[in-house]
Amino acid sequence: MSTMFADTILIVFISVCTALLAEGITWVLVYRTEKYKRLKAEVEKQSKKLEKKKETITESAGRQQKKKIERQEEKLKNNNRDLSMVRMKSMFAIGFCFTALMGMFNSIFDGRVVAKLPFVPLSYIQGLSHRNLLGEDYTDCSFIFLYILCTMSIRQNIQKMLGLAPSRAATKQAGVASISPGSD
Amino acid sequence: MTNSSKRKEEIHLVNGGVKQSTWSKAFNSNAVWEEKDEFLDVIYWIRQIIAVILGVIWGVAPLKGFLGIAIFCIINAGVLYVYFSSFQQIDEEEYGGTWELTKEGFMTSFALFLWPLYWVPLHSLIQSNPTVVP
Repeated sequence: MSTMFADTILIVFISVCTALLAEGITWVLVYRTEKYKRLKAEVEKQSKKLEKKKETITESAGRQQKKKIERQEEKLKNNNRDLSMVRMKSMFAIGFCFTALMGMFNSIFDGRVVAKLPFVPLSYIQGLSHRNLLGEDYTDCSFIFLYILCTMSIRQNIQKMLGLAPSRAATKQAGVASISPGSD
Repeated sequence: MTNSSKRKEEIHLVNGGVKQSTWSKAFNSNAVWEEKDEFLDVIYWIRQIIAVILGVIWGVAPLKGFLGIAIFCIINAGVLYVYFSSFQQIDEEEYGGTWELTKEGFMTSFALFLWPLYWVPLHSLIQSNPTVVP
C-alpha cells in the first residue's frame, strides 16, 4: 500500500517534468524566435487597443467607427492565425514526444492503482479514472486520470510563473475571433 | 471622500516613481490597480494558495466525497469575493462582473486542490497508513 503513495508522488514528478519539457520544446522551437516575439507583441497591443475601443463605443456610435473596429478585428484575427501557425511546429514535436512517453508510462502503470480517490467520480469520468483497473471499487485511481489532473494544474502554473502564458486580452480576442462570422 | 483622496495620494506616489510591489498592494486594502491584469494575477495566485491550504486540511481532516468538493468551491469563491468586494473594494464591472473575477483561475485551483500533492495523495497516504492520523 505504501507503494501507492510512492506512485502518486512519482506521477506528480512525471507531470512536472513533462510540463517543463513541453515548455522547453516550445521555447526552443517557438518562443525564442523573432517572428513569434513580434507577432505576440503585435497581438497583445492590438487586443488591448481593441478592448479599450469596445469599452468606449456606444450604441449610437457612427458606422465609420464600427467599420474601424471590424477592420481591427480582422487584422487581429489574421495575426492570431499567424501566431497559431508559428506554434504549430512545437505542437507537432510535443505531440510526437508525448505519444511516445504516454505509451511508455501507460505500459509501466498498466493495471496499477496509483491513488485512492476521496470521492467516487461521476459515472462518465469513471471510464478514465478506473481505466484498465480490476474490480468495482471506483475510488481506485488509474495513472492517466491522475496524470491529466496533475498536468491541468501544473502546466498552467508553470506557464504563468515563467511568463509564457498569453495575455488575457489576447486570449479573449482570439476566442471572439474564432467564433465570429466572417466579415465578407 | 476619504477613499478617493487616499487613492489620489497613491496614484501620486506611483507617478512620483515610488512603486509598491504587487504583493504589498495585494495586502493593502483599497490599493490602486492601474493594470487590470495585475489584479487578476493576484486573484489567480491567491486562489492557488487557497487550493493548496485547503487540500492539505481536507487530506488530513479527512474530508471526503462531493461534500468536500462543494465546501472547497464555496470557500474558494467566498474568500475571494470578500477579498475583492470588501477588502479591495474594486468596481467589479471594470473587470467584467463578479462572475469573471470568480472564475479567474478557478479550474486550475480546483485541479491543484485535488492534485498533485494534497487531497488525493494525503488521502492515499492515510488510507495506506491509518496510524498516521492521530
